[in-house]
Amino acid sequence: MYKKVFCVAILLLILAAVAPVFAQDDVVVRFRSWSPVIATTNAMIEAFNAENPDITIEPDITNYPEYLVDLQTMAAGGSLPDLIGLEPGALTQQYRDHLMPMQNCAVSTWGEDWEDQFFPVGIEQARLGNPEGDDNIYGLPVLVQTINMWYTVPVYEEAGLEPPATYDELKEQADMFNAQGIAPVMIGAGDGWIRRDVYMQLIHNVAPGLIYEAEDGMASFTDEPFVEAMTWWQRLFDDGIFQMGALGMSHYPAAVEQIQAGRAAMFPMGAWWMQQAGNPDPPPLDENLSGYAPFKFPDVTGMGAPEDLLGGIDVMLGVTRDSANPDAACKVITDFISGAGAQALINTYNDLPAYIGLRPAAFGSENQEAVWDLFTEDWLASVQYARQLKSPDVKQALEDALAAVAAGEMTPAEGMQLVQDANSM
Amino acid sequence: MSRRWLIDNQGLFFMAPAMILFVVFVLYPIFYIFNASLYDWDGVNEAVFIGLQNYIEMFTDDRSFALSIRNSLYWTFLTIFPQMFLGFILAHTLTSGIPLQNVFRIIFFMPAIVSPVVLGIIWQRIYAPFGGLLADVGLETGARFLIQPYLADPKIAIFSTIFVNVWQWTGFSMLMYVAGLQGLPGEVLSAAEVDGAGALQRIVYIVLPLLRHVHLTLILLGVIGALQTFALVYMLTKGGPNHATEMLPTYIFQKAFTLQSMGYASAVAVVLLLIALGASIFQVRALGSRFTIGG
Repeated sequence: MYKKVFCVAILLLILAAVAPVFAQDDVVVRFRSWSPVIATTNAMIEAFNAENPDITIEPDITNYPEYLVDLQTMAAGGSLPDLIGLEPGALTQQYRDHLMPMQNCAVSTWGEDWEDQFFPVGIEQARLGNPEGDDNIYGLPVLVQTINMWYTVPVYEEAGLEPPATYDELKEQADMFNAQGIAPVMIGAGDGWIRRDVYMQLIHNVAPGLIYEAEDGMASFTDEPFVEAMTWWQRLFDDGIFQMGALGMSHYPAAVEQIQAGRAAMFPMGAWWMQQAGNPDPPPLDENLSGYAPFKFPDVTGMGAPEDLLGGIDVMLGVTRDSANPDAACKVITDFISGAGAQALINTYNDLPAYIGLRPAAFGSENQEAVWDLFTEDWLASVQYARQLKSPDVKQALEDALAAVAAGEMTPAEGMQLVQDANSM
Repeated sequence: MSRRWLIDNQGLFFMAPAMILFVVFVLYPIFYIFNASLYDWDGVNEAVFIGLQNYIEMFTDDRSFALSIRNSLYWTFLTIFPQMFLGFILAHTLTSGIPLQNVFRIIFFMPAIVSPVVLGIIWQRIYAPFGGLLADVGLETGARFLIQPYLADPKIAIFSTIFVNVWQWTGFSMLMYVAGLQGLPGEVLSAAEVDGAGALQRIVYIVLPLLRHVHLTLILLGVIGALQTFALVYMLTKGGPNHATEMLPTYIFQKAFTLQSMGYASAVAVVLLLIALGASIFQVRALGSRFTIGG
């Protein structure tokens, strides 16, 4: 008896020892990111593996703050995974020395003219913050976006209105919606990124492109247009355009819940709002995106709203220098951008594809298709300026200044001085 | 190494595992953080030695750090003592033999076992002046004073945040006092009653002094909790608006990971460590060290 047990144990040990040898046929690509969400990532991997069964992708998707901590810890420990999710600008620049340039991968997949196959905003912003003379692309864009306004269709249909095109119209509609107990513009201004998104649209209206000059030191954040845009930001609170207590509310999930409940007439968001339709058991307004439509930020200057929009990269992917399987990692990235994985991603309406020509397999409503076409055929091609700023310190100072001005702790001029100080450091 | 030496020093071998863990997980991180605080470092790329520059900036030109220190003081005093006071009243009531007292103990203790992340999300909805619970109650009942920018107004946001913390942890204080009250010597209380001491006098002169070890424990845990506060603040306000509810841990997180200033964040962490060390020494020196867990 003991002899038999002993033999079986030895056999199991031998099997355990040789199993990895047999398994070595599979190339493993470790993938870590905050986006796309795990359910979507798994669908992308499944689509990828249907065509590439010899590559195993090990995903680890966490929320963004946790991801930042993990990434830094792994970089310090020399254990970065093969593929990492990136944002253009500060995050990519922080890890630049750990990332492989992606041009060769792109050329081998899409040919020499590969850049032409992407929306321009994706390629331009992939290089955001590169040192002078460095034209490498350290991450390839997967999803891109615009930032804009949305309105709730049933609310507007009931009111018999069109979304506002000027500040006067915005104010007039705000007064009406406030009287009805509906938030004119629902914003979770407790989150710095949405404060910044709105300000970026305001300064884009007041002086298109000036903020990037100020970042490069060719203009000052204390210049009159910046203060004017900040004053408009203040008025959005003082004039009751934003709902009461906006500064104490998060955009996700608190403001979003109010939007989904139909208690908001308008709200600032971006093209990614389309993903609401891809969620399981969506509320009625989200279903097939039947309840929402996008529009451009109203003209506050009286000189006319700019034709173009602000936008940028939602998520891009990079291959780390320590990757044991850079070829396989390249294959995964390019598939996620333009192959079966990308199609699985786009089918969830997660955001707009960076690669031109992709389209969801099906639309649930005419409105959803119309919105998709508006973004991909009209708006995205006209994105000239970045939603992001290069320096995390300037970004934070701007977000702080916006909060301080909204709370009445600073004047617009004092707020912009804070930003200028951060830019001068 | 003789056999005699081994026998004489066998205690070292028993201590060794604990000492190794202490060095690896306590002393080394402290040294690492202190070293990092002397550099301009983003946490990933090469660091540049700048000496005490991070500390100089922190104490001379950092409003957010000053606010974090102020808020930590608010948090310490405005959570510990109200929690102790309310916890004692609840404990005293719920050890007096009222019906369903065990059920009430469970109900009052429940917030303490809920994740601060969940509480943050829930209380943001309660506080929201548009569509929030208090606001809707105010609208329905006409009690419009309930509609306030609790988390949006920098002047009151920290107190609104502290209130949630007190609400969450009062049940824990209650439980500690319940355990303490149940362990009080009955003969002492009976003797005081026979001597003519009234109910209030018995509480003030007999019960509260006998519960000194519970008070000390709650103060110690309260100070530690105040200095460690992160999740609730992060979920409720992210330290805003304009850093009005910033606490040292949320500020460290922001500096280290959002602003890519690991060196500066390390300097703030060193200051936090020194404050915690100072507070612990003060407590032991001034209040004694007779702490307890559960009476």
